Amino acid sequence: MAKKLVDILEEKGMSLNLQYGGTAPAELTDREIKKEPTPRNKKLRDIYFQTLSSTTCEFTYWYNRKFKEMDGDVIEIRRAAALKNAFVHSTPVIFPGEKLVGGKAPYYRGSFPYPWLSEGFFMAKEDELYQAALAAGKASADEVSTFGAGGGNVTKSFGNVVSISGKYGIRKEEVPVLTKLAREWVNKSVDDVGHKYEQLVPEYGIKENVMRSVICMFDSGYTLPQGREVINYYYPLNYGYDRLIEMCEEGKARVAGRPDGDGVAGMDRLYFYEAAKLVLEGIQAWYLNYAKEAKRLASVTADPAQKAEFEEIADCMEWIAHKQPRTFREALQMTWMIHVGVLQEDSISGMSPGRVGQVLYPWFEQDIEAGRITEAEVLDLLESHRVKMTCIDCFASMGVVAGVLSSNTFNNLTMGGLTRDGQSAANRLEMLIIEAGITCQTTNPTLSIMYDEKLPEEFLLKAIECEKAGTGYPAWMNNRGGMEFLMKQYGPEGMTLEDARAIAIGGCLETSPCVWKELTLNDKKYWIPGGAGQPTSVGVHFISNPKVLEMVLTNGYDARTGLQVLPPHNKKLETYEELVGQFKAYYEIVVDCLATTNNIQHDIWRKHNMCIYNSLLKPDCLERGQHIGNLGYRFNATFNVESCGTCNQINSLAAMKKLVYDEKKYTLAEMLDALKNNFGFKTAAQVGSFSLEAQEKRDDDTGKYDEIHADCLRAPKHGNNDPLVDPILKDYEEWFCDMCRKYESLYGKPMYACQISVSTHGAQGASTGATPDGRLAGTTFADASMSAYPGTDRNGAYALFESACCWDHSQSQNSQMNLKIHPNAVRGIEGAKKLLDLTRSYMRRGGYHLQFNIVDSKVLKDAQQHPENYRDLLVRVAGFTQYWVEIGKPIQDEIVARTEYEGV
Amino acid sequence: MTKLNHTDCRNYIPIDVAKGMCHAHGDKIILADGDTCPQFEALPKCKFCKNFTDVDDKGIGCCEGFKVKDWTYADLKAVTCEHFVK
Repeated sequence: MAKKLVDILEEKGMSLNLQYGGTAPAELTDREIKKEPTPRNKKLRDIYFQTLSSTTCEFTYWYNRKFKEMDGDVIEIRRAAALKNAFVHSTPVIFPGEKLVGGKAPYYRGSFPYPWLSEGFFMAKEDELYQAALAAGKASADEVSTFGAGGGNVTKSFGNVVSISGKYGIRKEEVPVLTKLAREWVNKSVDDVGHKYEQLVPEYGIKENVMRSVICMFDSGYTLPQGREVINYYYPLNYGYDRLIEMCEEGKARVAGRPDGDGVAGMDRLYFYEAAKLVLEGIQAWYLNYAKEAKRLASVTADPAQKAEFEEIADCMEWIAHKQPRTFREALQMTWMIHVGVLQEDSISGMSPGRVGQVLYPWFEQDIEAGRITEAEVLDLLESHRVKMTCIDCFASMGVVAGVLSSNTFNNLTMGGLTRDGQSAANRLEMLIIEAGITCQTTNPTLSIMYDEKLPEEFLLKAIECEKAGTGYPAWMNNRGGMEFLMKQYGPEGMTLEDARAIAIGGCLETSPCVWKELTLNDKKYWIPGGAGQPTSVGVHFISNPKVLEMVLTNGYDARTGLQVLPPHNKKLETYEELVGQFKAYYEIVVDCLATTNNIQHDIWRKHNMCIYNSLLKPDCLERGQHIGNLGYRFNATFNVESCGTCNQINSLAAMKKLVYDEKKYTLAEMLDALKNNFGFKTAAQVGSFSLEAQEKRDDDTGKYDEIHADCLRAPKHGNNDPLVDPILKDYEEWFCDMCRKYESLYGKPMYACQISVSTHGAQGASTGATPDGRLAGTTFADASMSAYPGTDRNGAYALFESACCWDHSQSQNSQMNLKIHPNAVRGIEGAKKLLDLTRSYMRRGGYHLQFNIVDSKVLKDAQQHPENYRDLLVRVAGFTQYWVEIGKPIQDEIVARTEYEGV
Repeated sequence: MTKLNHTDCRNYIPIDVAKGMCHAHGDKIILADGDTCPQFEALPKCKFCKNFTDVDDKGIGCCEGFKVKDWTYADLKAVTCEHFVK
């Protein structure tokens, strides 16, 4: 039997201890806080647990049909008419028991393809899909009853259901439709047209190799062209749709034929207003179709209580199709429909509701004061909202949905922070939002707190209670640090301190520019925050830092693919400075080729596929008469450079510095030989596990690399307040944050650093060989950007914080730190206060983001063995909470391995 | 025409590609491909529409209901279609 690393280390007296601060009890420990949703929402959530991720071509079909019919028209109008046609013809489905209605497709957890963005991955699968459809008919439909492991992922075809990308199910009869639609977009999609022109970039050849070697994870221009941004609900909430259509008509009359001094885009305003009007009419019809369906259901329902609920839904939908909402329920329903409407428009993940507890506060306050609603009723609606948000699926390729998103859609709800005039913005509705997050534990909306010293203790302790429920939310973000970043990045576009106070998180932990707008409800005025910037899911995404270092050590050659990825540097790397210098030089080559090629993809997107609905919602498109592509948004400098694997890169540089350059215990050649041979181990894929401790020696291994491997593992590691390692991190961060600003987005704005891993540390770890820190080939990188590598933070959380904060986090859009804590360590009110103190200390030290998994690692191991018992188990990955069963094994292994703190 | 199933019925509320609720039977969860019952009421779909012609063996045919004709498919729901004719 092959020897495992964990056994080898035991023999050497250097156990890989994945616990810190004590020893966890032998028995499984459950989470301390446990509450249940209302029976209504429990039933709705239980349906979700049984629901398969399902896709249909309905929206796609109606969009495509009108788009073809409008051939030759102005592109904005053509796209708007197509969207309108799709909204008008979407089938409304209402599930009995729902109070909030509406969805992305006529399924509980539905989605649909966007071949106008990218059709390639359906076409590549065409034969396979069709053959699967034919073959699957022979199988028994009873198989569906055994479908469970993997949550709602349709990992294989069965009965009349065909699996696409191992994730979505589509009815067999729709497969020919999917391929027919895809064929009609060949050479016309954003993907295809963008690809045609990106090849004109001189450095395109390098870019292609960078993608093949997975130094970069994905192109952003046609995969997820929008998202990781904060939506803005203000205009429909304040004006209602009838008035917005009037405003479009007024805009048309004002600008038709008048460039008003703008000879490039002035004339485009007419087309934008007309396009906005068309989309708004489609949205109204879509709402009204739900009203009709509710009335129909009421007419065929005998149960008087259910009948009354359908009638209430009809009344609500009819009203908000035209007017400003009258009640909290109507306002919540409207925000949900706006949210789904935007998600219909594009392939999007990370469309975040933002500070919705502050947006909806006017209705909450007035309804409570008037006795129109109770807090219990509000809580019931908020729980329903959670179930609805969790049903959002994003249709994209497997590499994106599985490799990056772990099937999540990152609808991040932000709380706390400051008001426009600098006071605590936390309110009673946000307390109820947190309570709903405890009682109805679901993945979305994930919750974030903008931590500020002005926030009241009661609010902070409520958030801690939620943490202890083991939900993995809320995340803690540094309000002041985030505002500093915004002022630096968007100051040139006119951002003021007041604007910066409207800050919210888009996606996982992407600091996003927002503004305040004045809302009037029953003659009372309120300032509400909302998104005012472009997506931050765009730019250069994600660069594998350890893989770039690997390129330095291999002279630009990737052994896995056999490609000379980067131009050979032909340097001897005789000094540490030369090594680091080459790392930076290679990194800049990678960023440069990705920035230029992605700029072209996004340019095609903005010309062919610009958003209309999302544009009209965000300041200042309606005022300016310009959509996103013409810089209608208030803030446009949102493109970024995302990194992955920072911790392993820093640890590897530290090991190289100590072992090769400072102490000279090994020559560079000896180190390279050990890395090339994976220190005598099998690859992670061969072992079938992606955590370090489970790795096994090759059968033919002679022990030749044991000593160097032990030294690499023993070399100083990030997270220990170490004088060798921390300066390496500081140097890297200062260079990285500065370097990103040298690159320009297609909008002529400087890019910036974004340091989150999402799930890419699994896929990018899988494609990277052994690293000088002792990590073995194919194993998952450390999560996030500031987290320590599992088992290597041996001086406690405060030492980890010191290391993480050795640089100025406000230079970057974010940084990311995840901690795993055993439930016993934070038990009781004393434990809650300790956890809050821990959080505060990181925020006060200048850390940007902190997130907890309050879970017993043994529970996770048991869940890997018995997933059928853990359908509702939530864990924090890296910026988002996900159901355990929907996460791929590389990430599961990494979460199991994270250091578990037994005390704080 | 292929054999009808629950997805062709107005009382069926689709949860996902494999199952849904039957509103005529107390919103009980049923498999999509099960046999229809006496309370079956046809859901408006292209395959039940007079404007749907020239259907091929994959269920794709022509929609003649709109001013501009185009292809469509048998199982497209037509609940919201202004030109659906039973």
